This record gives sequence, structure tokens and C-alpha cells, in this order.
Amino acid sequence: MSGAKLVQGNEACVRGALAAGCNFYAGYPITPSSEIAELMVRFLPDAGGVFVQMEDEIASLATVIGASLAGSRAMTATSGPGFSLMQEHIGFATMAEVPCVVVNVMRGGPSTGLPTSPSQGDVMQARWGTHGDHPSIVLAPSSVGEVFNLTVKAFNLAERFRTPVTLIYDEIIGHTRESVVFPDSVDVISRPRPNGDPSTFLPKAAPPDGVPPMPAFGDGYRFHVTGLTHDERGFPTTDPGQAGALITRIHDKVTNHQEEITEIETLMLDDAEIAIFAYGIVGRSAHEAVLRAREAGIRVGMIRPLTLWPFPYHQVGEVAAQVDTLLVAEMNLGQLIGEVERAAAGRSEIVGHLRADGEPITPTDLVAAISGAGAVRT
Amino acid sequence: MSDDSSGLLLAGVGGQGVILAGMIVADALVRAGHDVKQSEVHGMAQRGGSVFSHIRWGSSVDSPLVPLGSAEVLAAFEWAEALRWVEYVREGGAVVADLRTIVPPGSCTDRRSWSIRYPDIDPDLLGRRTLKTRIVDASSTAAELGNIRAANSVILGSVAAFLDIEHVHWEAAIERLVPAGTEAVNLTSFRAGCEVVEASIPPRPADPDGFPGPHEIDIRHEWCKGCDICSRVCPEYCLEVGIDGELALVDAEACTGCRLCELLCPDFAIAVSPPTENVSRGELVASAGDPP
Amino acid sequence: MTDVRDHLREWAMPHVLCPGCAHGIVLRSFLEAVDEQEIDRNRLAMVAGIGCSSRLVGYVDFCTLHGTHGRAPAFATGLKMARPELHVVVVTGDGDGLAIGANHLIHAARRNIDITVLLLNNSIYGMTGGQAAPTTPTGAVASTTPGGNTEPNFDACKLLIGAGASFVARVLAANPIEMTRVMVEGMTHSGFSFIEVVSDCPEYYGRYNGMGGGADMLTWMAGREVGVTGPLSSKRFVNHVPSSTAPPGMATGIIQREERPVFTGVHGEGSHGP
Ligand code: SF4
Ligand code: SF4
Repeated sequence: MSGAKLVQGNEACVRGALAAGCNFYAGYPITPSSEIAELMVRFLPDAGGVFVQMEDEIASLATVIGASLAGSRAMTATSGPGFSLMQEHIGFATMAEVPCVVVNVMRGGPSTGLPTSPSQGDVMQARWGTHGDHPSIVLAPSSVGEVFNLTVKAFNLAERFRTPVTLIYDEIIGHTRESVVFPDSVDVISRPRPNGDPSTFLPKAAPPDGVPPMPAFGDGYRFHVTGLTHDERGFPTTDPGQAGALITRIHDKVTNHQEEITEIETLMLDDAEIAIFAYGIVGRSAHEAVLRAREAGIRVGMIRPLTLWPFPYHQVGEVAAQVDTLLVAEMNLGQLIGEVERAAAGRSEIVGHLRADGEPITPTDLVAAISGAGAVRT
Repeated sequence: MSDDSSGLLLAGVGGQGVILAGMIVADALVRAGHDVKQSEVHGMAQRGGSVFSHIRWGSSVDSPLVPLGSAEVLAAFEWAEALRWVEYVREGGAVVADLRTIVPPGSCTDRRSWSIRYPDIDPDLLGRRTLKTRIVDASSTAAELGNIRAANSVILGSVAAFLDIEHVHWEAAIERLVPAGTEAVNLTSFRAGCEVVEASIPPRPADPDGFPGPHEIDIRHEWCKGCDICSRVCPEYCLEVGIDGELALVDAEACTGCRLCELLCPDFAIAVSPPTENVSRGELVASAGDPP
Repeated sequence: MTDVRDHLREWAMPHVLCPGCAHGIVLRSFLEAVDEQEIDRNRLAMVAGIGCSSRLVGYVDFCTLHGTHGRAPAFATGLKMARPELHVVVVTGDGDGLAIGANHLIHAARRNIDITVLLLNNSIYGMTGGQAAPTTPTGAVASTTPGGNTEPNFDACKLLIGAGASFVARVLAANPIEMTRVMVEGMTHSGFSFIEVVSDCPEYYGRYNGMGGGADMLTWMAGREVGVTGPLSSKRFVNHVPSSTAPPGMATGIIQREERPVFTGVHGEGSHGP
């Protein structure tokens, strides 16, 4: 491969962020994400950006939000325990509609758990971790190259929809080195900006697509930003009509644009009787397992969402309508399997291949699961 | 035992040396063999530090405070203070008043004396015919003698003229209490004060265009929460919160424009702005306010 | 003469704070300080956390951020690092800044980032209904200390000096002119400046502890002022009571001022790796 570089997943994340125009990083050390901070401090200053190590993860995301309000493209990175602490500000960024990117390099949990082992235990937290009704955009790469691409996409979606975006991958992807050819440049989307008269500016008045234009502090528009339920002026209100309209708009601006957000990989589904549903690192084992099972004459395929949230109910439902069995493989005790069941709505049998012991799910495990009579719960 | 005491009151504003003068009087009285009680009170500090000192003496004195209408002598270090405290002087008592006029610092936006209706220097304003008055220009006298800061000794000399204390006691008290190195000029000033002639009263300033009217006080009733802070801090008692919680401007004329109400209103409900209209002198009521 | 009310979002007034709550006086003194420095409103960012004091930022026509409980110094750090030309002022309270947010406050002080923090100390949690705060004096009554607080309280200024704040001052809400003066000094100081404003809460602290209304509480605090830097101001607005009765926490004035390298986040050469 010409121009290929051998890089680690965490380094690909940094390269993707820089390619996407990231110019602000705040974070707190935690295994297995610390390489992102260590590389950011080396590369950001030369790119004209700013790096700061904060006192904890709560402060890290608050600082990222502050920088984003001042016009920066900002991100932080962490792992499960830090991701728990960040939930407060994921909620704030959602409510205040401040673009930012949060990377969660997953490790075993709960609590301190298995700091150096992989896990997919945070995928529901990434959806529902913060309190209240809110949308979530969560992207899950399964290779070093995809880490780069989805980091770029995370920034673009955050800016496009003025919302926090979570990039979630496990310890194996974070620490694996693969050779990747990085593109010379990528498409960069910036947040919508206002161009009207600052004196009549309504910071939360949205056009039909639901995303209000966003000036930065210091641009000449003076406005109020709050985590309280607010009206179009950005000012707190408890009026049920206004509150309902705000929460609905914030939700709809994401769900109404699902086709822009959702990315799915499918493999050999045309004649499949069994389909594996997998994401992240497990998607790679699933890919290999499909190829091996096909060699053995089993009609199996795979559906792998790169966008975990909003969940691709429609696409998964179509697969469920076609196959007899959906084998859901996750490195947790069953998180997205519930969503798969909702999508399938009884149209296929759902079996889980689940483990949460710090060990990856291998292709051999999955081939056995496919060949066996039913699911193997380990 | 009957209290056969006499009383004396010294009044001025902060920084004029009223307290030191009171200590000198008390010391002289002790030297003359009296039982003496003295108290100093810092009054409504908003007036730029109005300071007064009560002194009572006799063979045996119970309370240090001079009752209304009983003082032998009032020594006012500033003209408006003379008007403020004159009620304390007994029939036939004496008022020694300095010509100095001190507009309360920070209490107005235009510090020319006439712009806040500072009272005219006019003995008639003291109001009672039976008083012995002596209006002195202590600062000029002391300045002529070499140190304007000895003005208080000039006033004390004038006070001594009304009291039956031998001069050796006064002079001993002055020598002991004034700052080291200023004994000589204070003694000469004291002696000059004993003999000082009535000062000539300066003419009123011309007022061809009239004088600024009262400050404008803009109250936003829709923001006011009736917390009572403004009415409690107003030195001139211009504002009042009624039992219904509604704020009222009860004495617009007395406002000096100090802005305390504005600065201390937590609800931005008051704005004080300088007068925009002039009025003629006849419309102005000279008043130095009531003693606290 | 300009009217500081020009800086208000008039459509949002009157503000939500209780009658006699001195927080509004503090805001007014701050607006006077803004005018005195002729700060461009478009370049002034005010950042707050959660609580009564933090609500103030909603009423001023600047760039205002009403963040999360205790985290204002962290939001402010991001704003200032991303746009150093902004004047960044944090408004926080004693619960917001010294309990849930103390960690962020001391680290902002340690870094010496060029922001100003106004901590409005009313010795209690007001917004949630009068619970004890880390500043509630020992023995004082709050809804969670009905028999009197058994814990000792923080001295905010000492805490911040210990954390390395390069400018530390304490002022009283009863003394607006002094407040404005100290705020100007703090905002023009280069580096982290911390100003504790002794405020009041008549609705809870005053009521629970028999201290009367706002006017009474202002009088009380003014009577306990002890200047640490000599005479503070010729103006004292409320009747003066001898200062010998002052509790140690009421020492007022600029307590600490030093020049230290200001944190910007720009890393020096040599800090770059390959
Ligand atoms: S201080 Fe303000 S809110 Fe309180 S009574 Fe006066 S005008 Fe009304
Ligand atoms: S009304 Fe206000 S400005 Fe006028 S004297 Fe009273 S406090 Fe001062």
C-alpha cells in the first residue's frame, strides 16, 4: 500500500480529529484512552490548537463546551469511569446545543472494573447515560481506519446538528496497530452561523431543519446559554408549551435526519438464513466467522451498524424479516440485543452470543455459535 | 444628690478634630477640679462622618449625655452642624460656630454649596434670640498664625470665653494633647480665639439663573420588591415603604443626590439623576435636617 | 452619566431573587466596574454555575453562560483559552464554588488563568431552601442543621490563597463603592483573581437565625467590617459598630496580590514531541 502508515487506533483518532479541524482538547488521564491526550499535546499546538489537562472528567467536558461556545472544534477522550462523570455535561451540551466530541475507549466495568481489558459495556450508557429525554449520536468503528473516518464524521455531525457526538470503541481497537492510508484531506462541515442583526437575534429560533444558527461568544452576538429549559430567546421558562417544543425539537433534529447519520455495513445477506448482528471489534470477528461458515456451506450474513444511535431499527427490521435467526454478538451481558428484538418485532428468532469477562469474542466462537443448535451464553 | 452639672457639645464632621478638641476640654475641666464625663458619638456616618462629643462636668456627674436644651455652650466646627445641634443649647447659652462649610463628601453630584441648598450663613437661622453667638473664621485666623490645622484651638479659645475655667488649665491641656511640635502654634491660636472678633459673613453667591432643582428620582415600581433597604439607608429620609409594601418618595426636596438608594437597591428599581431644571432661591427651603 | 440599567436584559426583569437579597447589589456594583473599565459588551463573558447567585448572569446583556452546578470555572477555562481576548468573569456562590465546585475553583487558581471569580457568600443554600453550606458558621441554624451547625466552616479567601490565587480580596455587599473598586482591581489584575463578596440571604439565613431583613443584615455585616489593608473607604454606608466584635472571616480588602506567569495553554518550545 503506498503511503500507508502503521498506527494505533488512538493515534488514528487524533489524526482524524486534526483532519476534521479539531483545535481544542481537554482531558484527564485514564487507561486505555491516555494516548489520545499524549498525542494531542504533541500535535495540537503546531496545528494552532490548545491543549489542557483538567482536574477531572467533569471539568474536561465543561472546558470543551466552553471552548466550543467560543468557536472552537473541541473534543475530549476518556474511558468508562470518566464517561460516567461526563454524563452531566453530555446532558448540558445536548440541552444548550453545543457541538463537541466525546471519545470513550471502553474497558471492563462496572466501576474500576477491568482497566486494561476490552468491553462493549457502555453502549446503553452512551444512549441513556445522562438524565432526561434526549437524542444521542453514537458511532462505533471496528478498525483503525474506521476510527479515523468516524472521528471526522463525529466532528461533522456534532457541528451540523449542534449536539454532542460520542465515538465509542474498545480497548483492543484503541491499542491495535494497523496500516492505514490516510486521505490528504476530508470534508469538513461547520456549525450554521447567523448573519442577521445581532440586536434582534434569537439564539434558539430554529429553521425547519431544527438546528438554530450558532454564533460564538465574542462574535458580536450577545446571548444566554443555559441548561434550564428555555424559550427561543434562550431564556429559562417553565411554560409547558415551550418546554415541550424545545425537547421535541432537540430530539427531532437528530431523528429526522437519521439517513444522514446512519451508516451500516452488510455482508452476504442476500441468501442468508442466519445473520450476525455485531458492532465494533466484534464486527471483525463476525466478518471472519461469516466467511468461514460460508466455506462450510452455511448461509450466513452480517449486519454491522457503524452508527449505534440513533439505532437503525428500520434496517435491522428488514434483515429480521428475511432471515430465520439473528445472532447478536456483544461484549456485554446483552445491551443492544434488546433493540434488535424491538426492531425484529417477532419476525425472526433472536439469540445472543454475549460475554463480559474481559476476553474478546473470536471468529471461532461465532462459527461454533452459528453451527450449534442455539445461542451459547458464556 | 442633685446633679449640679453643666454641659457642652462639640460638633463637626469626620476629620475635623472634634474628638481631640473634646479631650482637651475634658482635660482642662479635670485640671480645674471638676468631675467630668465625656462621650463621643459617630452619628449618621452617611453625612460624611458627622461627629459630636458630649461633655458634662460639675461636682458629681451621672450621665455623659447632654440633654436637649441644657448645654452651656455649643461649639460647631462647621456651619450646618451649628444649625443641626442648636436645640441642645439652653436659653441664654452660647453658640460658637465656625464659618467653614463642608458639603458632605460624596453626597452630591455637584459639590458647589448652593447646588445642594446648603444653608445660608445667617445667625437668624439659629432661631432663638436669647443665645449668645460668636461666629468665627477659625481657619483664616489659624492660617495667619502659621498653621491652618490649629483652627480647632481658635474655636476652643472662643469657647473658653464663655466658660469659667482658668487659662492655665486650658493651656496645660492643649500642651499635653496636641501633636508634638505644634504646641506653640496651638497656644497662640487658642489665645487669638479668646479675643477673636466676630467674623464678617460672606455675601450670598449670585444666582442670576436660579439654582438646580431637586435630583430626579426614578422609581420603577414594577421592579421594586419593597425590601426597605433604600428607605433605611437614605440619610435624608426621602423614601418610605408603606405597609402595603409600596415604595414612596416622601421628601423629594431633601434629596442630596447621594445615590445610596440607587447603589444599594438590589432590584435596580431606583435611578437618581442630577437636576435638569433650575429653580429660584425662593423655592428652596434651607434645612440642615434633624439631629439623629 | 450612563445608567448601568442599560446593561440589563430589561425584558427578563424583575429578577427572581427574594426581597432584600443583596446579590442584586453585587450585580449593580459589577456593572459599575464594567462601565468604569469601558469594557466592550461583546467581549465580556459571564459564566455561572447553579444557585441564587448564578441566576444573576441571565439578566445582563453580555455573553452569558449558565452552566452546571459548581463547574463554572471549568467552562470559563475553555472560553478563555479558546478566545483569550474575552474578559471572562465567573459568578458563583458558596455552595456552588466551595462545595460541589471547590475542585474546579482551586485548580483554576493554581493554573493562574486570567479570569475573575466573584463568589457571593450568603452562608447557606438559598435556591434549594436553606440547607447548610460549607460556609455556614458553626452553631448557625439551617434547614439541615436545625440544632445549629456542628461542622466548622471554610474561610474562602484562605482556601484560595492556599491554592495559589494571585489576587484574593473580600468585600461586603453593604459597601457598593468599595465593591466596584475592588472588582476593577481584580479584573485588571493579570492572572486569576478571586473576590469573595459577603452577601446576605434574608429569606433563609436571616429568618432561621433571627437576623431580620435585608437592611438589617447589611447593617450587621457593615458593623463587622475590619479592613485588612488600612482604611478602605471614607464612605461607610450603614451605621458603624466597633470592629472589635468582628469574626475573623470578615476581614475585608485586597488580601493577596502577586505577579505570577499567566496560564494560556500555549506550550513552550521543547514541550513538543516528535
Ligand atoms: S431598595 Fe429597591 S427593591 Fe428595596 S424597597 Fe427600595 S426600591 Fe424597592
Ligand atoms: S433619595 Fe437616594 S439619592 Fe436622595 S438623599 Fe436619599 S439615598 Fe441619597
